[in-house]
Amino acid sequence: MQAYIARRLIAVPFMLFGMSLLLFWLLFLRPGNAALTGFGLVSPDQNAQAIASLEEEFGLDKPFFVQYGKWAWNALQGDFGISLKNRRPVTPEIRSRLPVTAELGLLTVLLTAVIGLPVGIISAIRPGTFLDGLLRIVTISGISVPNFWVATLVITLPAIWWAWTPLWEYVRFEDDPINNLKIVIWPAVTLAIATAAYVARIVRSSMLETLYSDYVRTARAKGLRERAVVLRHVFRSSMIAVITVIGIQLGAVLGGSVIAEQIFGIPGLGLLVFESVVSIDYTVALAAIMVFAFMFTIVNLVVDVSYTFVDPRIRY
Amino acid sequence: MTETTEAAAALGQEAIQPPARRGAGVLRFLRQQRLGTIGAVLIILMTIGAIAAPVLGTSDPEGFGVAPILEGPSGSHIFGTNREGRDVWSRVLYGGRVSLKIGLATVVVAALGGTALALLAGYLGGPVDFAFGRVADVLIAFPSILFALTLHASLRDELPNLGEVLAAEEFLLVVAICIVFTPVIFRIMRGNVLEQRAAIYVESARVIGASEVRIMWRHIFPNLVGLLLIVMSTTLPAAILTESALSFLGVGVQQGTPSWGADLSGTNRAYFVSAPWIAIFPGLALSITVLAFNLFGDALRDTLDPRLRGQR
Repeated sequence: MQAYIARRLIAVPFMLFGMSLLLFWLLFLRPGNAALTGFGLVSPDQNAQAIASLEEEFGLDKPFFVQYGKWAWNALQGDFGISLKNRRPVTPEIRSRLPVTAELGLLTVLLTAVIGLPVGIISAIRPGTFLDGLLRIVTISGISVPNFWVATLVITLPAIWWAWTPLWEYVRFEDDPINNLKIVIWPAVTLAIATAAYVARIVRSSMLETLYSDYVRTARAKGLRERAVVLRHVFRSSMIAVITVIGIQLGAVLGGSVIAEQIFGIPGLGLLVFESVVSIDYTVALAAIMVFAFMFTIVNLVVDVSYTFVDPRIRY
Repeated sequence: MTETTEAAAALGQEAIQPPARRGAGVLRFLRQQRLGTIGAVLIILMTIGAIAAPVLGTSDPEGFGVAPILEGPSGSHIFGTNREGRDVWSRVLYGGRVSLKIGLATVVVAALGGTALALLAGYLGGPVDFAFGRVADVLIAFPSILFALTLHASLRDELPNLGEVLAAEEFLLVVAICIVFTPVIFRIMRGNVLEQRAAIYVESARVIGASEVRIMWRHIFPNLVGLLLIVMSTTLPAAILTESALSFLGVGVQQGTPSWGADLSGTNRAYFVSAPWIAIFPGLALSITVLAFNLFGDALRDTLDPRLRGQR
């Protein structure tokens, strides 16, 4: 088990190296890409010279691997360079936006678990009933409805019916926790609909698999209450699937934050990715996406390692 | 669609009993999978709507002032009209063309590519398998929307124009979504190839002297078809959702092109409260289409692979 964790930990830097190389290649390899953005900052008549000086400023005249090496060396020390658009350092920007997205992500995962687990359990212990059928339709609808449409409806319909809209001016959690939650709850609910439906489906199917196994029958036969059988025996052994899915869903949440933050005007990392990609601000895009990918990699690692704690049968 | 259903149902029966006659499998599917049948019917209706859009009482979805501006649903414009004076019903039907086209193109390319790579990895093993696996790891480690956004930023100026069939923007969408889904399909198929390789029938084939290529193509591949159909049926709605999400973010189809995602975004948003029909119908069409594919995919999985019942 220690060996397994060690192996996974060793793999993490290689993964990050591969991801950053791929991203760097995608964003930087095309000549003049980055300089073209800076191009907008200078007047058109002095373009040749201006481009040359911009390229020199950002080191774009160097070969690819020199550029990448320089970027990676600085990134390892927490320095992601400066934004091409406004020439401000990227790292403080990322640092101020990271907690915003982390809060949204955690709130979404919390809602996912609170809604998804009970729905899945209820569905599984009453298979084939009307309630089960209803919940199945609800959950399959939940995974089918696109989050940006749900978000649109959340903003539009209450405004029409009750002239109610979510708060728009974002306030940080440390400044005003109550109003902050009033704002963040809506994007979180929007994102949690699909993930909760997904989790409910997995809980249902993995619990149904174990519900008829021998050891569950034994537990019943020795006179355990149904509640104890379901929660202690069936649910616990289904936890592996559930942890995996919640882990994978965190990835979906990270991607979904790009959309939710844009719609609800949350100044998080997702919005930063979107803005920087659209405005071709490559240094910012690269840094923000790498931070996302890093979080995703770590979550996956934690998920895999946590299997061993949930299911003692698994020994790596 | 009928072809898929038939093939699917036929495969499902193989394990239980041979079909008495052609089409019996389809009938069984219809009887046993009510929700799946509803899904299939919805898919067929959506497909007809998209293909026959020009003759279904539509007007030019990209023209200006074809219809009155921002008029609510009525007899002549059942879904209302939008800000540019376009009929929303026409936009929804033509938007279906884009979604289905890009969804299908993506799924076919990603499924064939993923399976071919999986067979190759399973056949060559060793370093090739390892290399493919690590590349897939890296690609899967990016949330799909982020990766598609990056690809879009990187490739958007260097696109071939495929003319009428696939506009440059749509080609880019297909490429971006394919790169996101191919590694996922590769991973699923690779696991199955390895499982099949260890099966006794493969060993028997090897014993009687079949070559590795023949084993791969004649023995293992046919056994992957059922799983491939399941994977395709679950990837298609995901691909459609990704396409519409990218179009929603403004990095999808060309501006003005009818698309369910794009019609919910941008400047349209300012009119949603005063003209909710322009927000409701494209989203509803998208949700129903994805739901239909999910219902059908679920039923297909139940029929083809009882072991996976209820999973996703």
